[in-house]
Amino acid sequence: MKKRTLKVLALGMAMTMTALAMGSTAVLAEEAAIDTSSEKNFKILAIWPEDSAEGKILIGLTEQYIAEVNPNFSYEYEYVPSADVIAKVSTLVASNDLPDLFAYAYGQPIMDLIAADKLVNVSKELETLGCTEYINEGAKASLLSLSNAEELYCLPYGMNIEGFWYNKKIFEEAGAEVPGTWDELMAVCDQFVEKGIQPIAVGGADRWPATRLVSAYAYRTMGADAVKKASYGEMRFDDEGFVTAASMIADMAEKKYFGEGSVTVDNTTAESMLLNGQCAMLYDGSWFTSSITNEELNPDGEENIGFMGVPVVDESVSAATELPTNCGNPFVLSADKYDAATAGWLQYYMTNVGNYAMSGFQSLRGYTYTTEPDELSPIVKEVVDNINSATSSTAWWEAYMDTETKVTAMNNIQLVLSGDMDGAGYCASIQETYDLNH
Amino acid sequence: MKSVLRNKKAIALFVLPSFILYTIFVIVPIGCTCIYALYSGTPGLNWKFVGLANCRKLLMDPKVKMAFIFTMKYVGMILFGQVGLGLLLALMFRFWIKRFNNLVRTITFFPIVLPLIAVGQLFRKIFEIQPNYGLFNSILANIGLTEYVEAWLGRPQTALICLVVMGLWNSIGFYAVIIYGGLLDISNDIIEAAQIDGARPIQLFKSILFPLLRPIIITCVVFSFTGSIKVFESIVALTKGGPGEATVSLAKLMYDTAFEAGNYGYGSAISMVIFVVCILGAYVIRRFDSKEV
Amino acid sequence: MKYGCTQKLKKSLKGIIIFLVILIDAYPIFWLFTSSLKSPSEFVVNPSYSMPEGVYLKNYAKAWSQGNMGVYFRNSLVYTVIALVFIVILSITVGFALTKMEWKGRSLTSAYFMLGLMIPVTTSLIPLVKIYRSIHIINTGTCLILTYIVSGLSMSIFLTTSYMRALPNDMFEASVIDGCSIFSMMRYIVIPVMKNCIVTVVVLQFFYKWNDLLFSMTFISDKDLKTLQTGLLYFEDQFGTKDWGAIFASVSISVFPLLIVYMFLNKKVIEGMTSGAVKG
Repeated sequence: MKKRTLKVLALGMAMTMTALAMGSTAVLAEEAAIDTSSEKNFKILAIWPEDSAEGKILIGLTEQYIAEVNPNFSYEYEYVPSADVIAKVSTLVASNDLPDLFAYAYGQPIMDLIAADKLVNVSKELETLGCTEYINEGAKASLLSLSNAEELYCLPYGMNIEGFWYNKKIFEEAGAEVPGTWDELMAVCDQFVEKGIQPIAVGGADRWPATRLVSAYAYRTMGADAVKKASYGEMRFDDEGFVTAASMIADMAEKKYFGEGSVTVDNTTAESMLLNGQCAMLYDGSWFTSSITNEELNPDGEENIGFMGVPVVDESVSAATELPTNCGNPFVLSADKYDAATAGWLQYYMTNVGNYAMSGFQSLRGYTYTTEPDELSPIVKEVVDNINSATSSTAWWEAYMDTETKVTAMNNIQLVLSGDMDGAGYCASIQETYDLNH
Repeated sequence: MKSVLRNKKAIALFVLPSFILYTIFVIVPIGCTCIYALYSGTPGLNWKFVGLANCRKLLMDPKVKMAFIFTMKYVGMILFGQVGLGLLLALMFRFWIKRFNNLVRTITFFPIVLPLIAVGQLFRKIFEIQPNYGLFNSILANIGLTEYVEAWLGRPQTALICLVVMGLWNSIGFYAVIIYGGLLDISNDIIEAAQIDGARPIQLFKSILFPLLRPIIITCVVFSFTGSIKVFESIVALTKGGPGEATVSLAKLMYDTAFEAGNYGYGSAISMVIFVVCILGAYVIRRFDSKEV
Repeated sequence: MKYGCTQKLKKSLKGIIIFLVILIDAYPIFWLFTSSLKSPSEFVVNPSYSMPEGVYLKNYAKAWSQGNMGVYFRNSLVYTVIALVFIVILSITVGFALTKMEWKGRSLTSAYFMLGLMIPVTTSLIPLVKIYRSIHIINTGTCLILTYIVSGLSMSIFLTTSYMRALPNDMFEASVIDGCSIFSMMRYIVIPVMKNCIVTVVVLQFFYKWNDLLFSMTFISDKDLKTLQTGLLYFEDQFGTKDWGAIFASVSISVFPLLIVYMFLNKKVIEGMTSGAVKG
């Protein structure tokens, strides 16, 4: 340990000298040594309330670190809702006072911070600390892809798959089969509409639940990397495949598969509708399991809800085991604040978080774990199995778009739902914004 | 005799503390905004001086145009609604309600007490169509107007109306309180004398109440104008700018541009538009005011 | 006879209008309260205007503990009250100096104070954070109180000046002849006649400050210093799912005491004013 610290220190000194010679941007490597005794007030800006599972894991681990390793380490935990985190970080970055550790958003926001050298190069740090193996490979791949960087600048803090969930009771009562292909999905929807049951709830007011449907159909028909290609200019958003996907959703809205006025429904309501048997299906991420297992939110119990993935269109383009994944919001470390004491915390966090989250909270956070929890609730087990058996993954509709294009894609989907815009018009509007910004 | 009212020390004591605080914490930030409008990006990140490029961009930007038109429509409707209905409500307090006046005024003031997040949710529920008809659609359905049942918040034209309704409902208490305060300052004797002279209610209002209330009403117009042109929070609470971009106001666009899109410079330029429109509007109101006197 | 009939009709029409106004404005009190007693599934299973099926007090328990209401309520009260005291003092003195005292540049100053009304508050966030940081008061109650004071100044000064402009000048001139100093004039004449205006300023500003979310979210990061409205944010998860029952419960807890206070305040002031008018 000592020897290694010395070595790192020597390396650090060498780096400092080069840094001094080259300007001041590369100072962080100098502090790569681990310090597990010095005082440090560690500021965390999180989008999870203190008493949520995410908050408890983070706080619990940090307190455990203080108790077991560094009694001089202290922390401050600040909660900001995810909708406001970008604004909050903007004000902090403007006055050069980023917190040590903060949750942020993928795409443009994180790329801007990387470009301005504000974030710790996590790949490099983890290598120095010997912790690379603790990140789940799948999570790592999608993080790299989402921040469009060769190296990792963020940590995962979530591991979700997305797809359709269904209410078993409603399916039984209607005598419907769980659809495996998109054609079957449409047939089932017709069946429900005939019986006066709303087939699918879509939280169109929150926008993302609706764009996810477009991308679900698009990746099933065009392959997992179509959206990424279009976002990087290798394809166009007004290509036929995308137009077909958007038209499919417009068509489904027109046929009242999403009920009346789905633009006005928020996702909280849509989730409750599925749990209370007011619709048959819902597209959502696996974070939804926390509501499914909550008896107050789900009066019929978790056995009543099943996960059916995304119906297949063409097995040769995209197989059933290929599912959209989502690593929650990224977690980043501020380069200015990063020092040896933080490195000590980071090492501890990396080695323990996977097991801590799995054994205490039955929660996958994108880290490797070795313990198996005693009792995994059936629906959580289903999700974990799905993640483990997933052959490949895809991101969501706006994941790679620049901010302006993303705004257009998210806003105009509402017009598609309300019938004020057709699929072709939607795709054209996205491409138009894209062209303006490239 | 006038020396007391010209007491320099007293004037300094009265004005300077506010002046200093106000200058540092209100005017300096406004000044900063003017300067920021010449940059692009976020300070501390990708902050770049672009000169008047933002200004040129403003003139060409279809989103700014849409937001401007939306804001103007909203301001127009809100202005008449707030001042007109506020006035009516205040007159009602003064002349119609004898018993329980206090209770009634408290109730009508209630909406402004509620945080906007709750008000937004209330109106979302009132105009709801899925999963259950909300209050409004239920009433329509029950009186046989089923064909008019509509996703009120899901259509561009009606979403604007919903916003105006919510804005009025939320703020009329405020205007009624201000105008009522003015009405109370008009002494009973004047009103009674006019009534004895046989003045009808409309005459009474036109020739006595309105001239005396004028300054207060102008104040209300200015508040209403400067308040509604900055409309932001009620949009976030009710429509989030949707459907599509139909209810994005200038202030909402400013916030989205500055924070969501990370272009604080351009966002500052958009708020300069609001600033300029506000000053012009206030000037027009003032001109209008002094002309008639 | 006919006269009496129309009179009656008029009267009942009046009654109906008043009733409607009250209904429209009182409905939310009712709705808010009943919603705070609903269990999560009731929000989608039943129409929003229906009565709660039972009394679901868990919302209140959650509101109190999860939303940290005890501390936040106290913080909000302290910040708001201090800010209000300053707003009233500053706006009355400035208002008086701008309308009744004679000095060069007063109309310019009056226009200067108006500027604050004209720019959206969101624009000032970054400059203000920078200023507060440079004088080391960011993340303290002081910076929030300061923000509350200055953000209420323009509107309050505007209100006081328009009230004072309407007051006759002779009143003040007479008191000068009686040998009043400027300060005793303030104490014995201006403040009493401005009582009505002061109440208006207090009431309006109180609710603006009380419902502020943007400033406290931006300037305060310490959990022990946050305000009531930030407490509402604790009922939302990272994917935007909101616990409406708990939100309404905490809004109810924060709103009803205020309403009662307002009602008493309202009554006291009206009594004070009518008695003053009789004497005058």
